[in-house]
Order: sequence, then C-alpha cells, then structure tokens
Amino acid sequence: MSIRLTIDDVEVKAEPGEYVLAVARREGFAIPSLCHHESVAPIGACRVCLVQVTFGGKTTLSTSCNMLAEEGLQVVTDTPEVRAHRAMNLELLLARAPGSARVREMARQYGVTRTRFPQVAESALANCILCELCMRVCSRLGHDALSAIGRGDKKRIGPPFGTPSERCVGCASCRSVCPTACVFVRDTATSRTIWGKTFEFVLCKNCGAPVLTREHRQHALAHAGLPEDYYDVCEPCKQADAAGRFANVVW
Amino acid sequence: MSVNPANRPTPPDASQTSSGDALRVLAGISGRVPAGAARTGSGGGMLTVIPRNCVGCRTCELTCSFVHSTHGRLARSRIKVREVGEKRFVQMTCLQCVEAACVAVCPVEALARNEATGAIEVHEGRCVGCSLCEKACPFGHMRFDPEAGLAVKCDLCKGEPMCARFCPNKALEVR
Repeated sequence: MSIRLTIDDVEVKAEPGEYVLAVARREGFAIPSLCHHESVAPIGACRVCLVQVTFGGKTTLSTSCNMLAEEGLQVVTDTPEVRAHRAMNLELLLARAPGSARVREMARQYGVTRTRFPQVAESALANCILCELCMRVCSRLGHDALSAIGRGDKKRIGPPFGTPSERCVGCASCRSVCPTACVFVRDTATSRTIWGKTFEFVLCKNCGAPVLTREHRQHALAHAGLPEDYYDVCEPCKQADAAGRFANVVW
Repeated sequence: MSVNPANRPTPPDASQTSSGDALRVLAGISGRVPAGAARTGSGGGMLTVIPRNCVGCRTCELTCSFVHSTHGRLARSRIKVREVGEKRFVQMTCLQCVEAACVAVCPVEALARNEATGAIEVHEGRCVGCSLCEKACPFGHMRFDPEAGLAVKCDLCKGEPMCARFCPNKALEVR
C-alpha cells in the first residue's frame, strides 16, 4: 500500500517507511543537505534539509531527512520562512566550519557570506560540523571505530576515548563521506596514518605501489569471499596484464 | 553475493567462467551472449571492442572524459587505451561481468546491474567511498575518484556508449 503526499503541490507516491527527503529527491525536487547519506540512517544533524510540513491542520518546519512520509502530508520545499531558517543554520555551520568550501558555497546560495557567531577554531578536527556521518558509515561498514567524545562545546568525533582504535582498518571511508572534508589522512608510499593510527599498505607485487592497508584487505577477505590474490596487484598493473592477455587472444 | 574461487575470472582462452565469457563476448571473439551480459541501445546490441581496428588515437578516452565529467580530464576516463606491443592497442573498459567482483565486494550494495542496459552501475548516493571495488576488480577497470570520494565505472552511457559513437575507426561498436 503506497502513501500519497504532496510536495510543492504535486501529488507523489511513497512507500511506508520512506523519508520525505528520499521521496522528494526521487521525484526530482531539490532539497539541500550535508549530513544525509543513503547508506545510513538519517539523524537530522545538519538541519539544512528543513522543509515546511502541514499535517493534521498544523504547519511546522521539520528536517525532511528523518521525517517519515505520511498519507496526506503536505510538504513545501521552499518558502521565505524555510529559506530564513536554512540561512540561520548555515550561518551557525559557517562558524563551525569556516574552512569548508561546501558549507561556504551552500551558505552563499542563501545569502550568507559571513557569520555573526564566534568561529570554533579548535585544532582537533577543525571544520567538523559534528554530523556523525563518518561515525554512522564506519558503523555501517562493521568497523565501529569512531564515536563522539566529550559533551557540549567539547564534543568532537574520533576513535573511542580519543585513543587509536583497534577496529579501524584504515579504509578512509570516513574521509570519502565527510561533507566538510575535515578527516585528515596522511598517505606515504608505504603507510597511511588516520585517526592517530598508522597502517602499512599492501604493496603491488609488480610495481610496489600502495594498494590498500593490510587490515582493510583482511576485512575484505573475511567479508567478500573473493580469492586472496585479488588484492595483491594495483589497478594499472592489473589492467596492463589483462590487456596483454586480451591481446594474446586477438593476435 | 560471493564469487566462488573456482569461478574466478581467468584468461579468456582458458576458461568457461562467467567473467571469461564476458571478456570474450566483449572482445568480439565469441558470439555467445551470457545471460545478463551487457546489452545496449534499442537494438539490444553489445559494446564490442575490436582491438585490431584501434589506432590508439584515444578519442574514446576523450569522449568518455567529457561525457562523464565537466572538465574532460583524460585521467577521469572510464575507458583506457593500452599499448600492448608495437602499434598494437587494446581498449580496456568494464566487461560488466556476470559474476562481478566489484558487486561482491561492495559492503553497502552501491553497485547493481541496470537490467535495461546490462551495465553494472554505481549508485552514487549509496557509495561510501571505501574503494574496495577498485581494489577487487581483477581487470583493473574500476576507478576511485578521490575528490568526490566515489567509485567510478563504465555505465555504457545508459545504453548509448559515446565511445563507440565517436570512435573514428570502428574499433568500438555496438553490435
């Protein structure tokens, strides 16, 4: 049984359990967001996806990422009030993450170029907006190597208790998903340092280029069921080898 | 989904495996079409690589770069022309394996086959950028875009491969 709701006066259908943001994006409505990711449960942290919702005769503002679609729900994605609240939230985020190009650009689109609030100039995880997306993705991948540390204005994200995690495999998915690009990874020719822990790379058997960390390889072997030697050679070497085998058949 | 080590992709002349079949079919060596292999266009043809016709001009790489990125950087191309000997080239692109290692290794089910085109596509909203697919592909066809933090692969241009349309020497064709 599908649900009917309206988004900007257009009637759309949704399945029970679907969230308003997901439905809206699927139907082609643009709603900005920073902390939303389809692979993890939404938590409504960044507050940028605010929309106006009317339900049961009552109109209010709500984050769309974690609001379930309901029969008869009326959603408006862009009103002066929605824009004003998004602008305020972006001004707050700008104080938290002044170094993030993405936050600055999003704020600019809402007419916010500077922030009236004191900038959070904390060297540990500067520009982090505490959306916990890295943490949620890490947990989704089965590593659970990140957590929130401290409370209030001392809250930050890192390995539990701020000490290097035994469960981290150095996959750097946290860096890939971070909306403000604040996860710091240092790669050398043989090692990767992330969240205070240094990993050794598996090096390509042919050319010695780094492929992935030993721990990441172990994790993949345990979960994907692919043969062990799938991770021993770097991508360019594998492609060159495949091209050679290919050529032997053609000529 | 997991890949049985006994069914792993091996050189095309030595195996009857699913990935081996895809390699052969896409190479235009065999007319046999494995179930679920790449079909493109309205006629249901396949993107076929004909290395003998390739002169190494890399128009396919350029086309791919422009179709899939705004900058047209060759490094972002999903197809790659490899020189394998004196004036001998092979265009390397995703084989859309039937039993694909990238799909098997993805921890968040971000890779899935588009049944309409037969291409395995990256669902960008779901990809968490762990880059395991890039490491696992036995042919080195997967790419990881570090700036976007996303896996990148040939999607057969949603059924109309532009590399084939722009190839000046019929080295890439939809047949």
